Amino acid sequence: MDSPSASVALNTRDGSPSAAVGEDDGALFAEGLAKEAAVLFQSGKFADCLKILNQILQQKENDPKVCHNVAIVESLQDGCSDPRRLIKALEKIKEQSEELACASGEQEVSSNNGSEHTSSIRGNNTPRHPISSIVYNDELDTSVATFNIAVIWYHLHEYARSFSYLDTLYQTIEPIDEGTALRICLLLLDVALLSHNASRSSDVISYIERIFFASSPGNQADNGSSAHQQPLLVSKSTSLPNNLTLHDGSHHDSTPNDSLTRTLSEEALEDEPLPVLSSLDISGQNLQRPGIVSANDLQRIQPEGSISTADLRLKLHLYKVRFLLLTRNLKAAKREVKMAMNLARGKDYPLALYLKSQLEYARGNHRKAIKLLMASSNSIEMGISSMYYNDLGCIYYRLGKQHTSGVLFSKALSNSSAVRKEKSPNLLTLSQDKSLLITYNCGIQSLACGRPFHAARCFQMASLIFYNRPLLWLRIAECCLMALDKGLIKSSSASAISEVGVNVIGKGKWRQLALRYGPSNGHGIYVGINSSVKGDGRQPDLSMALAWQSLVNALYLLDSSEVFKADKAPVSEEKGLGEAPLSQSSNLKNATGGDSKAATVASGSCQANANGEAKEHKGGQNLAGTLANSVLDYEHIRMKENLMIRQAVLADLAFVELALGDPLKALSTARSLLELPDCSKMYIFLGTIYAAEALCLLNRPNEAAEHLLVYMPDGNNVKLPYSQEDCENWTVEKVSDTEESNGGTTPVVTPLSTADESLAPVFSSPEEARGLFCANFAANFALLGDFEQAQRFLTMAFSDIPNSPQAILTAIYVDIKCGDTHDALVKLRQHRGVRFVPGNLTLNGSC
Amino acid sequence: MVFRLDREYLLLLHFSLGIMVFLGIKTVITPPVAYKLQIIRSPFSDSDSLKMLGFEDCGKLLRLLSAGEDKTVEEIVAEFNSKFPRSLHFYACSALDFLTTDPKEKFLNPSQRLIAFAIIHQAYSSQHPSSNPFISKLVGAACDDVAEKCERAFVLLLLSSTSVNGREFLKQSAADYISNFDLSSQLQQQYCVKVQTEPCKSLLKDNTVKNIVPDPDVPLGCDSNSSEFDAEPGVTSKIGSGSREETLVGLMSSLSLDGLGPQWIRPLPPRLPVMDGELLWLNPDMNHELLWDYGMCADTSRAVAVRDLISKALKGPLVPVQQEQVLVELANDPKLVYHCGLSPKKLPDLVENNPMIAVEVLIKLVNSSEIKEYFTVLVNMEMSLHSMEVVNRLTTTIELPTMFLHTYISNCISACQGIKDRYMQNRLVRLVCVFLQSLIRNKIINVNDIFLEVQSFCIEFSRIREAAGLFRLLKTLD
Repeated sequence: MDSPSASVALNTRDGSPSAAVGEDDGALFAEGLAKEAAVLFQSGKFADCLKILNQILQQKENDPKVCHNVAIVESLQDGCSDPRRLIKALEKIKEQSEELACASGEQEVSSNNGSEHTSSIRGNNTPRHPISSIVYNDELDTSVATFNIAVIWYHLHEYARSFSYLDTLYQTIEPIDEGTALRICLLLLDVALLSHNASRSSDVISYIERIFFASSPGNQADNGSSAHQQPLLVSKSTSLPNNLTLHDGSHHDSTPNDSLTRTLSEEALEDEPLPVLSSLDISGQNLQRPGIVSANDLQRIQPEGSISTADLRLKLHLYKVRFLLLTRNLKAAKREVKMAMNLARGKDYPLALYLKSQLEYARGNHRKAIKLLMASSNSIEMGISSMYYNDLGCIYYRLGKQHTSGVLFSKALSNSSAVRKEKSPNLLTLSQDKSLLITYNCGIQSLACGRPFHAARCFQMASLIFYNRPLLWLRIAECCLMALDKGLIKSSSASAISEVGVNVIGKGKWRQLALRYGPSNGHGIYVGINSSVKGDGRQPDLSMALAWQSLVNALYLLDSSEVFKADKAPVSEEKGLGEAPLSQSSNLKNATGGDSKAATVASGSCQANANGEAKEHKGGQNLAGTLANSVLDYEHIRMKENLMIRQAVLADLAFVELALGDPLKALSTARSLLELPDCSKMYIFLGTIYAAEALCLLNRPNEAAEHLLVYMPDGNNVKLPYSQEDCENWTVEKVSDTEESNGGTTPVVTPLSTADESLAPVFSSPEEARGLFCANFAANFALLGDFEQAQRFLTMAFSDIPNSPQAILTAIYVDIKCGDTHDALVKLRQHRGVRFVPGNLTLNGSC
Repeated sequence: MVFRLDREYLLLLHFSLGIMVFLGIKTVITPPVAYKLQIIRSPFSDSDSLKMLGFEDCGKLLRLLSAGEDKTVEEIVAEFNSKFPRSLHFYACSALDFLTTDPKEKFLNPSQRLIAFAIIHQAYSSQHPSSNPFISKLVGAACDDVAEKCERAFVLLLLSSTSVNGREFLKQSAADYISNFDLSSQLQQQYCVKVQTEPCKSLLKDNTVKNIVPDPDVPLGCDSNSSEFDAEPGVTSKIGSGSREETLVGLMSSLSLDGLGPQWIRPLPPRLPVMDGELLWLNPDMNHELLWDYGMCADTSRAVAVRDLISKALKGPLVPVQQEQVLVELANDPKLVYHCGLSPKKLPDLVENNPMIAVEVLIKLVNSSEIKEYFTVLVNMEMSLHSMEVVNRLTTTIELPTMFLHTYISNCISACQGIKDRYMQNRLVRLVCVFLQSLIRNKIINVNDIFLEVQSFCIEFSRIREAAGLFRLLKTLD
């Protein structure tokens, strides 16, 4: 019966195409073996499982699914020692399957003509017939293999790669069977959350709600903890009528309500029976909208894995908590945590406690967060303990106790590496190895404690997984800048003058004062030269060149993320208009299905139905609204944060370019900083100063003066470049949820969230900024030869920044230029920042 | 002006070369710029720019300068070459350059200045003049109006001399040269009234002044310039006296190549505060394990059977047993619908031949991404009893997009109007009316949205009883 081309396709799948009868037997045999293997796999007897798989393999050589399972079992047997190799193997299997699917698809087209009558002959009697005449072939479906690849990438912390696989699966998730689909959704949710993809997370959450909880009564907006306990199997009864509608329909003819048939028959249209029209039901009684997932589907999920309905509910709540924490919707997160805790009642569920602690941490209730962590630490095991210390470290950092947090982070690191050594390797330990994440935290802490080299080392290690975050590159650049500031490295065009030294030369009438100034006390390192001064070779080679490269990276990443968004925006909008309302509303309908049915059963009245429906609508909208709003809010927050990062990157870049002696680039960078929409006043000030200096270096002091004039609107008085308020607003607005939620009952808890910011030197005070501006303006006047103005601004500068070495040097320069050495001497003597070195010392030193 | 050794300096070199050509000095610009760069940079590659001559070397240099009374210039230059290794030439010359910057200053007496110029020139005489880093200094000195004429003439002679010719004037002592100096005014005109072009400068760097401030330590009211404070060897020093030599040595050893210029404050950009969520909080993971593929060797026969039945259902009505089989299989396996070989293009055939199956399939497909296409096909297919039946059933089971329903109703109405056959028209109108009543009573559509359209439809077909009924229904709702 087979067309010859069909049997060619079979060849690869069944392996025994010769005899139809033997084939049948073989397939039956294989099916039995496969079931056996699955059971062995579930019970973890991998060796036995492998034996059976090999048996199957003898029958079905090169069957992609068998090969897939063999690869999985082999890998599990040796503890996933080489996950990347497994990925390669799975990729190959996937490719094979897809080729086969392609081939069978083509074949479908070619054999279409013939199949028409043969199929009619076959009828129901040949169920074993293996012709697969469609591209969607169960046997060649690669979703499981793809999922497994994504799982491995996830465990390797390669979230971006994992995401790309999962997202492809998610786009066509409907045909995938429920069990796998659920796992895909959960993993995608994890990966999306970890890669801060709020919109995809919210999509998946609502998808899971819609598909996997559709038929169960109760919803999230009502507290519904009682309903959650209900096993999904209850829905079996409700879904039965679904199948019965067909039969119901035919019976309705007799009921008086079914008017259409009756009316039509009155009109003597009996000769044209319209049996299907019986469904035209005007009474509304029959309004049954069963959920999409029938009990059967859910039963299918059960045997495959351990996800029970209650468990899934709890999980989903926790995912929602994570989502809401990510999107900083703390109020809703609090609500979800509460529900999750209710569900988890009695059970030891560390994740719930950790999330609750994270919530309190995010709200600034640090003490409470610590308490919760402590409570969870009863059941400390190695993998968790590193998280415990890390999270404690985060809290102490926010409490402003950087050194304690440093100790905690390194404890977390050592625990984490202990886990790596102790446990036999498997995939879970891979993903449990969070050392790179902890290393990033260490870097932040070291940077805050003023240890740029250590911090840079941490960041460079963390860049293995965070290479695509602009913030990481900015931090590395900040390490370089800090090293420069501390005089640990030197830039080719020195800017930092720490002090002014005066060498006293000669005696009596020949006495001369030689001014010395410079950034270093002689132990400077030239840019880019790996100096031996710092000893051990592990020191990262911090330099202005590295800073420049890092900042360019950061800028590139910022740009590309924005371009990506701009590209994506119209698409998602389109989707939002076209698809979302539809799916959302059908979601609502589906949710109603179960409930309205229950109501009908209970009271048998249409009113209850309508009420139930209205209520459900509201509830459903609440949930969807929360998710959507959270995503929107989060986008907004992200935009703001990116703007902050961009300002910092551009300012740093302009500074670095000046330090590298490239005023032309610095000028254009400073200009793009100034052109940023909504640029903060502090960064506008920095940008102005950098741009003016660059212009001076380019011999365009007149233009520099124009730039600087911004701060002298009336040409006479210098205004403060920014206010204290501006500075305070800059440090990210903290959620002031604390007071409100405490409701005055526990006023002990004080929000210390800003403690760390006060430690970090953020901006110089507005007055200092003004002084700095005056000094630079004076320098500019001096360059232009207007010494009178220069002197005037210097006087103003000294009232704000009396100890600035640069200002005093400019002042002396102006005095000398005016031929007024006496004044210069007076200034030198009076100035606090000047250090006099007797000439003899110098002589002795050089002898 | 103190020399800067950086990129600007190279520019300066070029300018000074230009001037020399202008002055009629024979120059051949052969060494490439890179070569010059190397020569100029080399002393600096391993040392801080502030590092200059040691104390002893300063003393030696000073003695050389002071020997101008008795030794010939040539002898002194030779002595310089022998006493200072080549590596120190640059430092020595820059020290001399520094001391001779201002012709008005009295650090050096005239003969010392001449010797300083001679050393500066001769130290690099073996190379091409353009590779002398101080060449522009010499040119400048030759052109400086303020300087003594004899000095300028001397420098000019230096510049015009080569290693072979024109060295006669070096064979006398500096003091003799000064006393014998007599240059015709014509020569002055020729050499000294040239306007020197302004070299390219970086203002911040080249507007510098010497970083030395005289601070004479003399008793109040005394003139610091009077010679009474010059320390005499062997005489006990009094307050305010000091040794010129000591100062010279000190100046040379502590001079900086960087002059003093206006200082620009470049504020260090602040660190970005730690962002919210930047510190990574760790939570225990959800467990994601590798999945076994249960599709392996699974029994796909039922799916194949359904697929076959569906393809049959596209061509004609299925017998009840077959229909039952399809419906049961579809109900048993919710995913089967995706594998049964249906596509939006094939939907109209299925609707016409097996509306019940079409309804079930569409209900199952409601979550699919293709459902929109299916709906579009459904709404645009030819109006028929079966299509209406399918739509009606769908309205009671799933929520259809409002746009879809409105379009469908409009299509229904225009289909009624378009039928020529009176009997068929009546039939269709009655069906449409019943359908609309069902939609309205079940609150599946909002009457207001379609009120006008439906009302005119009722009026048009008011002869038909169902239309009148529908009209009454509309009125009661109004």
